[in-house]
Amino acid sequence: MSKEKTNYLKKPGVQSFVSSVICIILGLLIAFIVLLLINPAGAFASIMEVIKNFLHFKNPTLRLRFFGETLVKTVPLLMCALAVLFSYKVGLFNIGTPGQYCAGICAAIYAALKWQWGWLPCVLLAMLAGAALASIVGVLKAYLNVNEVISGIMLNWIVLYFTNATLTAVKNPASKDTLTIASVNKAGLLPTMGLDNLFKDKYVTIAIPIAILIAVAIMIILDKTKFGYELKATGINKDAAKYCGMMEKTNIIVTLVISGALAGLGAAFYYLTDFEQWAVTQSTVPAMGFNGIAATFLGGLNPIGTIFSSYFITHITAGGAFVDLTKYSSQITDLISALIIYLCGFVLFMKTTMNNMIKKSEAKRHVKQANVNDEGGDK
Amino acid sequence: MDTPYAIEMLNITKKFPGIIANDNITLQLKRGEIHALLGENGAGKSTLMSVLFGLYQPEEGVIKKDGKEVKINDPNDANDLGIGMVHQHFKLVECFTVLDNIILGVEPNNHGVLQKEEARKKVLALSEKYGLMVDPDAKIEDITVGMQQRTEILKMLYRDNEILIFDEPTAVLTPQEIDELMQIMRNLKAEGKSILFISHKLAEIMAVADRCTILRKGKYIGTVETAKTTAQELSSLMVGRNVNFHIEKKPQKLGDVVLEVEGMTVASKAHSNNAVKNVSLKVRKGEIVCIAGIDGNGQTEFVHGITGLEPLVSGTIKLNGMDISKAPIRKRNTSGMSHIPEDRHKHGLVLDYSLENNLVLQTYFEPEFTSKSGFLKKDNIRSYSERLIKEFDVRSGQGPVTPARAMSGGNQQKAIIAREIDKDPDLLVAVQPTRGLDVGAIEFVHKQLIDRRDSGKAVLLVSLELDEVMDVPDRILVMYEGEIVGEFDPKKTTQEELGLYMAGAKRMEVKA
Amino acid sequence: MLLLIQYTLIFASVLILVALGGCYSEHSGVINLGLEGIMVMGALGGALAMRYLPVSLPGFIFILLVLFFAILVGVVYSSLLAVASINFKADQTIVGTALNMLGTAAATVIVKAINTAANPNDVSSIIQYIEPKKKFIMYFGSFEFNWFMFITLVILFGAWFVLYKTKFGLRLMACGEHPQAAASVGINVFKMRWSGVLISGGLGGLGGICYILAGVSEWRFEYGVAGFGFLALAVMIFGQWKPTRIALAALMFGFFRALSNTYMGFGFLAALNLPSTIYNMLPYIISLIVLALTSKNSKAPKAEGIPYDQGMR
Repeated sequence: MSKEKTNYLKKPGVQSFVSSVICIILGLLIAFIVLLLINPAGAFASIMEVIKNFLHFKNPTLRLRFFGETLVKTVPLLMCALAVLFSYKVGLFNIGTPGQYCAGICAAIYAALKWQWGWLPCVLLAMLAGAALASIVGVLKAYLNVNEVISGIMLNWIVLYFTNATLTAVKNPASKDTLTIASVNKAGLLPTMGLDNLFKDKYVTIAIPIAILIAVAIMIILDKTKFGYELKATGINKDAAKYCGMMEKTNIIVTLVISGALAGLGAAFYYLTDFEQWAVTQSTVPAMGFNGIAATFLGGLNPIGTIFSSYFITHITAGGAFVDLTKYSSQITDLISALIIYLCGFVLFMKTTMNNMIKKSEAKRHVKQANVNDEGGDK
Repeated sequence: MDTPYAIEMLNITKKFPGIIANDNITLQLKRGEIHALLGENGAGKSTLMSVLFGLYQPEEGVIKKDGKEVKINDPNDANDLGIGMVHQHFKLVECFTVLDNIILGVEPNNHGVLQKEEARKKVLALSEKYGLMVDPDAKIEDITVGMQQRTEILKMLYRDNEILIFDEPTAVLTPQEIDELMQIMRNLKAEGKSILFISHKLAEIMAVADRCTILRKGKYIGTVETAKTTAQELSSLMVGRNVNFHIEKKPQKLGDVVLEVEGMTVASKAHSNNAVKNVSLKVRKGEIVCIAGIDGNGQTEFVHGITGLEPLVSGTIKLNGMDISKAPIRKRNTSGMSHIPEDRHKHGLVLDYSLENNLVLQTYFEPEFTSKSGFLKKDNIRSYSERLIKEFDVRSGQGPVTPARAMSGGNQQKAIIAREIDKDPDLLVAVQPTRGLDVGAIEFVHKQLIDRRDSGKAVLLVSLELDEVMDVPDRILVMYEGEIVGEFDPKKTTQEELGLYMAGAKRMEVKA
Repeated sequence: MLLLIQYTLIFASVLILVALGGCYSEHSGVINLGLEGIMVMGALGGALAMRYLPVSLPGFIFILLVLFFAILVGVVYSSLLAVASINFKADQTIVGTALNMLGTAAATVIVKAINTAANPNDVSSIIQYIEPKKKFIMYFGSFEFNWFMFITLVILFGAWFVLYKTKFGLRLMACGEHPQAAASVGINVFKMRWSGVLISGGLGGLGGICYILAGVSEWRFEYGVAGFGFLALAVMIFGQWKPTRIALAALMFGFFRALSNTYMGFGFLAALNLPSTIYNMLPYIISLIVLALTSKNSKAPKAEGIPYDQGMR
């Protein structure tokens, strides 16, 4: 028999990658069309700015600095994406991630400014806050069958009002933002370990390498451990998990607690750099959690893939700042993220299509081979 | 109308990727006859019917109605041709009334506003005419399975269908209900309806059908007149070899009590009342005890109570003398209980997991498969699953890494049985273990159950198949409305006697 | 007190409209988590109509046109959910979430583009409708009667009638309960589900325009609709997918939402001196409690959320 040609498209990883690339291209294309409709004059230049982001600058130092800042902003998104991913593995859609992220912000900033804690306890408290909030969703889901999407959204709003009220206590009297941590409690800032010098940007901290390590750790937990085996089984088939004696209710709660902790951690990793302050008049929960959903699905529900998809989304969002604001609004990048999530809904269809194409081509090849063999037999 | 045939399916071929589900099959139904379609699970009966209803388009072959070629693109076309079907799994909306279900799709209406009165009269008249006795205003979820089936029959009659198809209609009925159904079918035939009766039960086919078409593995085997054949001949045509229905058992050696249930009551999810009421029983080593009964009489809840899927309202369960009434499922599974679940897709398998991951579903946490630090020992899982696959002859495309979803039903069941039996349990709870399997696989499963018994372990079998109930166990307990209403020795009873108890017409005092 | 009733009624109207939208969609078998985004888009459609239609039009025609555009945009937008979840069998949760994000983002981009085009220095996402709004209001003494209250009543009765008394309703619910059964009697499940989703889009759009007209005279589209789409889903669940019970649930939720606008007017509430944050949180907290109490035995349509596949029988 002739060697079977290995079809790379057959591999699930490759399929996910191809699907994600299709989603990105379509998303950008639609955004481009929207820009064209608004104002044809600068559409191409603007969409290129979105794609270029820090490459906008000619100066290498500036490029490096803005690359560093893109990474700084990638960290919270990556953590939110991992939060969404982790809960999705047990079959839960944790749309409460923005709220858990918000709770993390509230805890981290309050502890750093009001109680002047060091950075580590601040980080831990933020994780705890996110976890506590998520546990409510978990308990409601596991014991009272409350749809986690609706309870998550409700908690998002509750936490938003709570955070605004709480952080008013540590507000800069001159603005609507909270005080910078540097001005009150330098020990509350995340250590940089020299990374700030590397990128020539003081906001680059250990958060970046740690976030990547966490993504790897989650990959290992899901793939190699008993815990991961149980979580995935619960996610795919709750009844079978119960049947074989897994504590499916506990698993649901534990997963959400971890998911919430990841979101809270993401908040601490961002707000404890002083890169951004919380405006106490915020009228919506931070978009970070919602974009995390985009990153999760764009990353093909794979923790490592999520690193790249989070970077990509942050990259274009940061690029949004460079579009010609006299013609377009920077929300065009929110539009792209939303479009990408929407398109990710079609990934299943894309994969089925790919598999069908493979099957057809294989069937054809088999027929051909069979014919060849028959002819061989005649001789 | 110069042909005697109401409907003809000629040389139908339907292919799916990888298999030919129907290979040049011909089926001719005469007007006013009862025609049986016989074949094992997977023989291609459902595919053929889906072709008839326009759900699939065949690659080759034609369908003729009264001798004229017709094109059927969807169920509406079939309905227009007067073809109706009682599906094996009823197509009824549970929260609707009987009447709503009957009129669904052909609603009498005035500019879209429902006009139910007229329909009600027609339904009552039909119900009267054929002796169906159905209350049109009852909700489906509140009536018995037999009544639901009659609703399905009324659906066809209401549409004035001339060609009536019954897909495995007796699987859910008691022997007495089966007799009534046969009578209804004869009445329908007397009124000039043509009936296609899909079944794998030979006795019923011999009793009611005029002719019988046999399929095997997607191929057409032949059509015979039932008056000129025997059940034995039909069976060998269906399976392709002579089947030995006799089951070899060693003489019984009864041992200690393994399972002792006392006053067990379990709540029902579907209704407000209790599904299992004050049930007591004992199962000893070296015996197979079978819970018989019609579907929906509390068997599911009974098993869920014993295996821990549902909490008990009251009562105690002892396994090898240890009280496990409140024990978590994991504790029961590791204390000598195994469970072959009723629904292998819902409970038995994680379909998107690989075969090997499914084979360790009950043992993945043991030191053999999980290290102290919580990591899975994938090499051990692989070698263990390879052994089970070999021992139990589980066939799959890619061995241990095949997704369970990609396996055939029979092999999925074999995988579950391998997993549950390899734990060497003292008590094996097997719920409808042969459902949907072909004869070869059924023989395999029965042999495994008997092996457990012969090696001195206990088996608690729950079955709806009367043949299985008569052949496999050492003792039969009949369950009716959540209570044990009769205890029988299979050698000293008949299907008819069991039927009376299963239908609640008779009961006796049973002591555990 | 009158103010409280007025706000309760108008917020309840929004919730009833949107919850009934969810109800149609779910009875057909599709979970519509995108109602929030649909509301935003409907509000955009209505707001743009108010901006561009001449105020000189007779009130009745003006109102009808505004409603028409809100419904139209809602319907068109919901077709994104329909095509993905019905034809492409996409995960309804993901698509719904995407619609929510997309709704706010798209509305913001569009409004900003319009504002900037009109005045290069205006980069806000605000649309004003002080004059047009007056057409929706009638005064009975000091009570502000909003035509939406009447429209809602009509739609509420209509929903009850359609679902329980018509051929369409019977078929729709069959598709949400047991699509295979519906298909077996020749009902086109895809068509019915499309109808369900599109109707929910229209009602969502209507709810959206009603929401932004309820309290204020201008709307900043970045804000979305503050979780009202999800509150409506909570109302729907609490109402057990039945129009009459949905109406009662909506009144209760509307009351708590109205409290946050009006609590200062009540001596004893003002005297409690609770921070306003508490009142803002109240509707969401109540909905969590209500969900916790009612979700366990919910009578959700059995087949909701499951894509219909003709091959599966």
